Amino acid sequence: MNVIGRKGVPIEVLLVEDSPGDVRLTKEAFRSANPSIHLHVATDGVDAMAFLKHQGAHIHAARPDLILLDLNLPKMDGREVLAQIKKDESLRGIPVVILTTSDAEGDITISYQLHANCYLNKPVQLDAFEALVKSINEFWLKDVKLPRQAQIGSV
Amino acid sequence: MKSPSTEPKTKGADALSAPKPPPLRLRKNDEGNLHYRALLEAAPDAMVIVNQAGEIVLLNLQAEKQFGYRRDELLGQKVKNIIPEGFAERLVADALRSAEDALAQQIGKGIELIGRRKDGSEFPIEIMLSPLESAEGILVTAAIRDITVRKAAEKHLAQMESRYRGLLEAAPDAMVVVNRRGEIVLLNVQAEKQFGYHRDELVGQRMKNIIPEGFAERLISDGLRSPEDALAQQIGTGIELTGRRKDGSEFPIEIMLSPLESAEGTLVTAAIRDITTRKTAETNLLHKVEQLNRSNEELGQFAYIASHDLQEPLRMVASYTQLLSRRYKGKLDSDADEFIAFAVDGASRMQRLIQDLLAYSRIGTKGADLLDSSSEDALQQALINLRATIAESGAQVSHDPLPMVLADEMQLIQLFQNLVGNAIKYQSSGVPRIHVSAAMNVEKKWVFSVKDNGLGIDPQYFERIFGMFQRLHKREEFAGTGIGLAICKKIVERHGGNISVESQPGHGSTFRFTLIGGESKS
Repeated sequence: MNVIGRKGVPIEVLLVEDSPGDVRLTKEAFRSANPSIHLHVATDGVDAMAFLKHQGAHIHAARPDLILLDLNLPKMDGREVLAQIKKDESLRGIPVVILTTSDAEGDITISYQLHANCYLNKPVQLDAFEALVKSINEFWLKDVKLPRQAQIGSV
Repeated sequence: MKSPSTEPKTKGADALSAPKPPPLRLRKNDEGNLHYRALLEAAPDAMVIVNQAGEIVLLNLQAEKQFGYRRDELLGQKVKNIIPEGFAERLVADALRSAEDALAQQIGKGIELIGRRKDGSEFPIEIMLSPLESAEGILVTAAIRDITVRKAAEKHLAQMESRYRGLLEAAPDAMVVVNRRGEIVLLNVQAEKQFGYHRDELVGQRMKNIIPEGFAERLISDGLRSPEDALAQQIGTGIELTGRRKDGSEFPIEIMLSPLESAEGTLVTAAIRDITTRKTAETNLLHKVEQLNRSNEELGQFAYIASHDLQEPLRMVASYTQLLSRRYKGKLDSDADEFIAFAVDGASRMQRLIQDLLAYSRIGTKGADLLDSSSEDALQQALINLRATIAESGAQVSHDPLPMVLADEMQLIQLFQNLVGNAIKYQSSGVPRIHVSAAMNVEKKWVFSVKDNGLGIDPQYFERIFGMFQRLHKREEFAGTGIGLAICKKIVERHGGNISVESQPGHGSTFRFTLIGGESKS
């Protein structure tokens, strides 16, 4: 896909999610919310970090404008991914939206302590999930001003 | 006992081991003799002076009184007349000893004998002998004390002791009597059995031998309390200690102490009960309770984890069947549409069930501490949460002033919300009217009532409605999984209360639940 977002620049979103069903559902929801989004998928924490650091197969990976991060992931879990992103000077400017089924108080607290930009629960109902994806698009990809200078850093 | 007031006399235990005392010299018809007489009369005991032949040579007024004779009736008479046995014999020399030696052996010792009065009556006496040297040879001064009263007391004591011993033996527990030094002075057969000793092995022994710790220490006085106070503190309270048998084995005991006044001072009676069986039962019970708690907790965790983890795959099923239905409705045949519709309905119903199950299990596993809370505020919040339902149904909800209670506020809100929500929901026609009130019962608990004018419930279902997923109506009539009242019940029970319903079909229902009162945060 080579769809153009605002100001002619495509919007890059990294979805870190291990469940194929959720990946597809999120893709479907974003497709109907905003077709001009490049949705990249990493299925575990290690893969996500490789993508962000342009390592291995991800040598030509785009720098994402937004990261949607699940907490419970294989290999390296979402909390660790979040911690590494926020520790990395070149990555910490990318907003990270936690998107998880967990509503445990502990998970919410630690996520914000690790500087998550916001914490969202995956709704159980399809309609509600679609509505949530729509609002993510409206807020994070339309209303919010995102830094563009990082483009310089990317290959 | 008081000694006769003949002054430089050897007396007491020392006299036995000391060298023979020098006899007092009594001269005839001089001043010293007069002095001696005066001393004799001043003595509190009866005094009789006897010569080697066993004849009375001198006596005092007390002797006259005690034996009922006039002085002249006794002077020159044999002492055998007033002390028939045991006196004269003691003073007689035999082949083995001289008269001095015979006397010396008796000096300073109280000898208990029988006195006989002029009227022939007898009475117990104690005599003390001392030698008196005179011109007529060695005389013997006998101080004679009437010990009738003491003897009676001793007899009484012996009787008491035998009665006490009877009681001791009849007691179902091991009984041990201990003196202030912690020595065993008396015990019963149960004590012998319990500790595996023969009586002789225990009498005179330290209590520490059979109760190594905690017994002797408790009877000791310290700077803060007298021995009496120390004991008084322990009386009547069961103290759990460890007993040790002769073979060294130990067993749990409970002891009860009580004081026993005796001639030797305050003794302590200890009733000792072997509580092995009770202890074992207690331990077993504790173990069972622990097990039960653990399995309850595990069950709670299980329900939570199961419902939480089930939600994930189910979310997929529900989402994709919904997606399927949305995209392909009318594009396949009518059978496919119907099948998909059933799948969507089943999945979403199961989702509700799992969510309710999760909510139910959270009451136990995710509950907050019970704090002082305003039940009126909780009701208000519940009504705010229900405002759409209330507006839609036109329900009229009223309430009395409601008290402070000890509650998990979130759960209290949920409780009101479920009960008021039910009252609005189960209506046939007309305006739902709901009234919430509270009154204190005899147990000082608040009884809350949520009264409605709804459909009412047949009494045969009163118990069932509080069960999990119990429904009285078809799904087409009233939606819901049937968890609402089960959640109410679990909330109320977690708060130490109970919930019940009173109703008649067609006449509305009143749900009542109890809560413990709280302090006003003023």
